[in-house]
Amino acid sequence: MNYLRATNLGEVTALLEEYPEALLLCGSTDAALQLRHRPETATLIDIHALEELKGVSAEGDRMRIGTLVTLNELLYSDAVRESLPLLAACADTFGSHQIRNLATVGGNIANASPAADLTAALVALEASVTLASQDGERSVPLETLFCGYKCTKLDHELITAVTVPLQTGSWYYRKAGMRERLNIAKVSIALTHGSGGFRISGASLGPSPVRFRTLEALLDGGVYDDAAIKAALENDADPSGGYRSTKAYRLRVAFNMIKEALSQPEER
Amino acid sequence: MQITCTINGKIHRFDCAPETRVLDLVRDAGMTSVKAGCGEGECGACSLFVNGRLVNACLLLAPQIHDAEIVTLEGLQEETAAIRESFAEHGAVQCGFCTPGFVLRAYDYLSHGGERSEEAIRAALDGNLCRCTGYKKIVEAITKVKS
Ligand SMILES: Cc1cc2nc3c(=O)[nH]c(=O)nc-3n(C[C@H](O)[C@H](O)[C@H](O)COP(=O)(O)OP(=O)(O)OC[C@H]3O[C@@H](n4cnc5c(N)ncnc54)[C@H](O)[C@@H]3O)c2cc1C
Ligand code: FES
Ligand code: FES
Repeated sequence: MNYLRATNLGEVTALLEEYPEALLLCGSTDAALQLRHRPETATLIDIHALEELKGVSAEGDRMRIGTLVTLNELLYSDAVRESLPLLAACADTFGSHQIRNLATVGGNIANASPAADLTAALVALEASVTLASQDGERSVPLETLFCGYKCTKLDHELITAVTVPLQTGSWYYRKAGMRERLNIAKVSIALTHGSGGFRISGASLGPSPVRFRTLEALLDGGVYDDAAIKAALENDADPSGGYRSTKAYRLRVAFNMIKEALSQPEER
Repeated sequence: MQITCTINGKIHRFDCAPETRVLDLVRDAGMTSVKAGCGEGECGACSLFVNGRLVNACLLLAPQIHDAEIVTLEGLQEETAAIRESFAEHGAVQCGFCTPGFVLRAYDYLSHGGERSEEAIRAALDGNLCRCTGYKKIVEAITKVKS
């Protein structure tokens, strides 16, 4: 294995230019298991100690979350609990205490798993990601970063931060899994409802995290009819059937969650 | 590669491959309270502190503990005495394989001012699995730790 330790952001982007296929080492909760299958071929760029990629800070009406912020740091951040309660609620269902001490925000996004909880929550919150390469920085809507199952459009780039508009209006977050805590989502739903209308996303409901736009338009139009909601969900969601649950099951649970969200959202 | 860290206050140097699991490093260094359970972050038997945070040693790679301060149950004998006594008193141990992980999590939880309710303790134990006890006695033991 080729192991490279970066001590600042400039070094990371230079290394990514040279080794575009390299794995970045952060919490390693996803990477450790991937590496076990191919240790010989991998190049590892260790960024876990870079201070410039840590920390949560308010910037006007947005929150900037460094890519190395852990799930427990989100969960216990007063700023996040206050201004982004949906994100705190998501973090509270995520992995276990020990996993939350390791797992990072950037790792959850970059891993691009259809079951990634935090990614789904961030999509519903209309978050943007800041990407850095040798050519400088750019910011894109998180939703546009994905290109299918475990696929991102990162191009010799790393995620340096996520910026999230502060929450207004009502919201809903719910995750269903095998166990009450430590579990990978069979389905989760993240929903916000503010002056801009509904924003809805979910985990394990498509090859990559997406916004449910047909459903959003339907609800924005004031149609809360069961059959219409079901049809909209089937249009937007494309869950895989697998050994953990069937496609029909995932759609049914998502439907029940949407109904619950409409009848009892959290207000703020 | 060369890795230097402290384990329970003593400096350790390792010459190892970067993909070496921290779990294997600390066990080879004699800290056998850190158990190799599932190897996938699910069971918490491999829990240890890295710079004050409880994490799964089976997921951590050697470079991640370079210059770090590692603490295992071996290094917390005095601090965990009351917890271990309570586990014994309440029969919260059967085979004992999961016990070091549970004791460290209980110590982590209680020393951060964790609430002594059954519900909160059950939630706090989300990263530790036990195949024997059924959890009832473990939760009871933690609720009743003498402070
Ligand atoms: C027991 C267990 C339970 C889990 N529970 C959940 C859960 O409930 N919900 C959930 O969503 N996930 C869960 N996960 C998955 C995992 O913990 C998360 O996806 C986590 O956020 C990954 O972060 P990390 O820092 O560990 O990433 P790493 O493993 O360090 O990296 C993952 C991948 O992302 C890339 N990467 C990391 N950071 C960046 C960056 N800044 N820019 C570009 N690429 C980057 C790496 O190259 C690597 O390919 C669980 C995992 C385990 C083992
Ligand atoms: S052995 Fe590490 S969590 Fe199970
Ligand atoms: S006592 Fe046997 S696994 Fe917990």
